[in-house]
Order: sequence, then C-alpha cells, then structure tokens
Amino acid sequence: MAKILLQGNQAIALAAIKAGMKFFAGYPITPASEILHELTNKKEVKVLQMEDEIASVNAIIGASLAGVKSMTATSGPGFSLMQESIGYAHMMEVPLVIVNVQRVGPSTGMPTFPAQGDILQCKYGSHGDYFPIVFYPNSVDELYKYTITAFNAAEESLSPVILLSDGYVGHLYETIETVDYPVSERAMAPLGTSNRHFTGLTHEDSKPATSNPEVHKKLIKHLETKQKKVSKKYNDYEYIENNSSDTLLIAYGAMSRASYNFKDDYSIFRPIRIFPIVEKIKEIAKKYKEIIVMEMNTGQYKSEVEKLLHREVKLVPILGGKIDLQDIWGGLRRLKRGK
Amino acid sequence: MTRKLTYLNYLKQDLLPTQWCPGCGNGIVLKLACQSLEELNFPKKGTVVVSGIGCAGRSAGFFNLDSVHTAHGRAIPVAEGIKLANEKLNVIVISGDGDLLGIGGNHLLHASRRNTDISIICIANAIYGMTGGQYSPTTELGSKTLTTPSGNTDTPIDVQALIKAHNCFYARSTTYHLKHAMKCMVEALKHRGLSFAEIKTQCITNDGRRRGFKNGYEMLMYYKDNYKINNNSNELKHNEIGIVG
Ligand SMILES: Cc1ncc(C[n+]2csc(CCOP(=O)(O)OP(=O)(O)O)c2C)c(N)n1
Ligand SMILES: [Mg+2]
Repeated sequence: MAKILLQGNQAIALAAIKAGMKFFAGYPITPASEILHELTNKKEVKVLQMEDEIASVNAIIGASLAGVKSMTATSGPGFSLMQESIGYAHMMEVPLVIVNVQRVGPSTGMPTFPAQGDILQCKYGSHGDYFPIVFYPNSVDELYKYTITAFNAAEESLSPVILLSDGYVGHLYETIETVDYPVSERAMAPLGTSNRHFTGLTHEDSKPATSNPEVHKKLIKHLETKQKKVSKKYNDYEYIENNSSDTLLIAYGAMSRASYNFKDDYSIFRPIRIFPIVEKIKEIAKKYKEIIVMEMNTGQYKSEVEKLLHREVKLVPILGGKIDLQDIWGGLRRLKRGK
Repeated sequence: MTRKLTYLNYLKQDLLPTQWCPGCGNGIVLKLACQSLEELNFPKKGTVVVSGIGCAGRSAGFFNLDSVHTAHGRAIPVAEGIKLANEKLNVIVISGDGDLLGIGGNHLLHASRRNTDISIICIANAIYGMTGGQYSPTTELGSKTLTTPSGNTDTPIDVQALIKAHNCFYARSTTYHLKHAMKCMVEALKHRGLSFAEIKTQCITNDGRRRGFKNGYEMLMYYKDNYKINNNSNELKHNEIGIVG
C-alpha cells in the first residue's frame, strides 16, 4: 500500500498491471490516450499501438485466448468501431477489459469535454442479445479499484467487461492509496493446448450449429445466467440517505460528483455497477415519491431505470460537456415546479 | 502403392465431408495445408489456425487443433494478438481474398509493416463466394460477377507489391499446381516474420459458372494453361506463380 498522486487514466493503467494484465492494444484518442502512454515501456506489459480500434479489440481477443489478461482503452468513436467484436467476444466467452473514457458525441463531437452518451451503447451497441457487466467509478481511487474488479469479473464471467469513465474523471488528479485488492486467476486453458474451435457462429461443444434454434436459445440463456451469477458478487453502489427528502437523485460518474452538492435537499443513489443495474435500487426507490436521474445525455439511464422500476422517472440532462451547478439546480427547480 | 495418410491427423475427420460445394477448391487448400504441417512436423499442441468469415473462413474449424474463427476481416489482428501473447505458438491464418484483402485489408497493410511472425494462406478465388458471387478485391479486370454484370472495372489489388514493399515473404500458386502450392505453403510456414501465400482457388458455383466454365475441372485446366511457374524471380508477372521469398 502506498499513497500516490495519480491521474484517473494513469490509475487505470497501474491497476491493470496490478490485476495481472500482460497485453494491451490501443489506438490514440482523447481523452483516453494517457492509458496507452502510461503503459508504454512498462516491462510487465506488451503494448501494441494498432492501426485502429477494430484491430485493437481483436488483438486483445487473440491475446486473451492465448492465455494472458488483456485490455484496450478508447473513447466514443473507437468504442463504436469495436462493437461488432464486442459481441463476438461475448459469443466466444473471452475475458477482456474494455475501457471507454467518454467524450461528447455523437461523432467527433467535443473531444476534450466529458459526456455520458455511451451508456446504452455499452448494453446494446453490438447486434444480437448479450449481457455485459459494466462498472462506472467516479474518482481516481475508484478507477484503480474497479479496474481490478473489472479484470476479476471478466475472468469469472469469461466475458468482455466494460469499465466506463469520462473525460472529467479520467483527467482528474487525486491522491490515492494503492490497496492490494484480490486478483482472480485465469480459468481458461490457453490456445495451443487442445483442439477446441472458437467461433462467433452459434455453436455447441465448439462445433458450429447454425440451424438449430434450440442450441441458440440454450447458448443465450447460458450467457444471461452466467452474467447474473457473476454480477451478484459486485453489487456496488453508494447511497446517501436524506430522511427529510421525498426525492431520490440518481447519478453516476462525473455527474455523481456534482450530485453531492445537493445532498442537503435530496437523497442520492449512485450505481457503480451500472449494468446489470444494481437490484438494491428497487428496494430503495420504494421510499421515494419522486426519482430523478441526472446524466450527461438525453435520458439513457433514465429509460433503463424506468424499465426496471416500472414507474415514471424524471430527468435532468446536462449536455455539452460543461457541468455547471447552476444548470443542475435550475433543472431540479423546473422539475419541482412541474415543468 | 498406398500413400501414407497421416496428414489426416491434422483434421477433425468426424466433420468431413465439408459443406463446400462440389468442384470447390477450398478442400485442396485444406489438404495441402495439412500436408505442409505434417511435412514440417508442426505439433498439434503448439499450433493455432485462425480464419475470418467466408467459405474459406470455415477452414479453421476442420483442424484438429485449437482454432479460432474470427469476425469478418479480423483474422490477422486476432492472430497477431495470439502470437504476441505467446511467441512459442505457430500461428497460421487461412482465409478468403475478400476477408484478408477487402474488409481486413488495412490489417494486412499494417501487420506486414510490423512483420509479425504469422503465416497467412489466402484462398484467392477472386470472388465473395459465401455471399453469392459479388466481385472481390482480386477479381480480374473485365470479369463478370453478380455485381459487375458488364465486367469489373476496378484494378485488382497487387498483394505481391504490398507484401514486398514491407520486405515480407510472398508466394503465389494455384490449386492445379499441387506440389508447387504445397511448396509455397511449406516455405511460408517456415518463414520467420510475416508470410503470405496466395493460392488461386476455383469457385465454380458463384464465379466460374458466370464466366462460362462448366465445372471445377475446367477452372483447374484454366490455371494449368495460364499460370507458369517461375521460381527465380523477385517479382512475379501477372500470369506467373512462384516463391518470391
Ligand atoms: C461485417 C460483415 N459484413 C459482411 C458479412 C457478409 N459476408 C460473409 S462472407 C463474405 C465474403 C467473404 O468473401 P471471401 O473472404 O473472399 O471468402 P469466400 O467466401 O470467397 O471464400 C461477406 C461479405 C459479414 N459476415 N460480416
Ligand atoms: Mg473469396
């Protein structure tokens, strides 16, 4: 354990090494590049700067199958490019960690400004049904911790786990204690030791089975069950209860840091494992007359929370990358006045 | 005289016959690849075959060793990740021309710059076979396909030039020239650094048929008549096959 001053992105890089990562492939992009920079020249890791993000994610899929813990890091445009291969990794059950330090989109948007516009892309970005585990820490200290958690969850679920961050938390400098968190071991035998066939086709016992609906149903059920089981170990959230409030504010990542300013007037719930949504929220939500999600998009998480709670949830959207307390306050007041 | 069939150990024989069409050349490449592995005594444990998507992309699944069937165009970066994570493995890519040179072309461009130690066998049938016969990056000028009904007007990609520009290994052969094609594969597998063996392979169902060939055999005869072996050149002409090294 040591106390050090770190940038959020740096913390991810150092924690990944702690978690036993041996291979990193990436492509430069603001505001995630510092992860690539920090890892370059670290003797514990093989680092590859690839030609694009598609190559990056596929290289880490190969490396992971070959037996080493692997990670890539990007931001929105690169995360979009990776989507097909993320579904592929789910189908083949390859443990990976994919970091997305979000910036304002769509498209090139505002590269140096933080956003939270990729929330639904994490869950639905690739085609077909799959069940990702997604963590979204809100401090440098937590980025360190949840990078290791993400690696553990990836190994336990044999799936790509997404670590979300944003241009704000990623570029933040904070002093942290580098705790020795437990690290999960590899569960999968490396390539070159057997005669398995890894394929993105619907398959059974490593053989393609592309015309049997029963095999496909079983496979999808298996992916879902596995995710539920593993995510139970990581029911991570923060709840700040305010007994005099009948309204619950939900916020995550950069926005949750802003939400702390309103704890005298509201209760605050911050999911850290944002997908699957921490179940605890169902129980907590019952105590409140009103629920408001504040997020840096036009209501992506709000719609997911509504779906889970089967009730109306209100929204304070903060767009354009600037987190201004006046704006948030204005948004909350408007909701109070019923507008 | 009976020829030893020990190369069959490299195949999952219970998966045979393949799902490839009668007259398809992919099986020839698959067999030659197994014979090359045998010739070099590559251990089944310690060798990995990677394919992309397409008819050719189905090759990987037939090998009796750990194999990976990637997303379309992504065999090369997956293979590079495997090799760089465990340098002891022999990593072989077998995939189609569309997969390796079209959708995955940018990866080949950069993998050859990196000179990653992988061997690539390209089943070059000059067509998108699996999707019904659209023109591919290696379709000849003037060739009629489903999507070039008046003849292809796009210059086919010069893979040799691309590979040689980065000082990697290049060889070209056809499914007619069995011994030669095997020699190309063996040399490609032996090469340290990135190697690329382009094997011209007939697709009767979705290519030859539209170009007036009656069957796969006629396409093989076309290879016989039109490709000349030249093993002493460092630049193969259009109708030459050989090992440029
Ligand atoms: C991203 C993506 N786009 C398109 C396809 C459809 N597709 C499947 S195979 C194929 C062409 C394969 O051509 P080639 O690599 O030459 O292989 P062949 O079938 O000729 O052996 C295409 C376009 C796909 N599977 N994935
Ligand atoms: Mg083809």
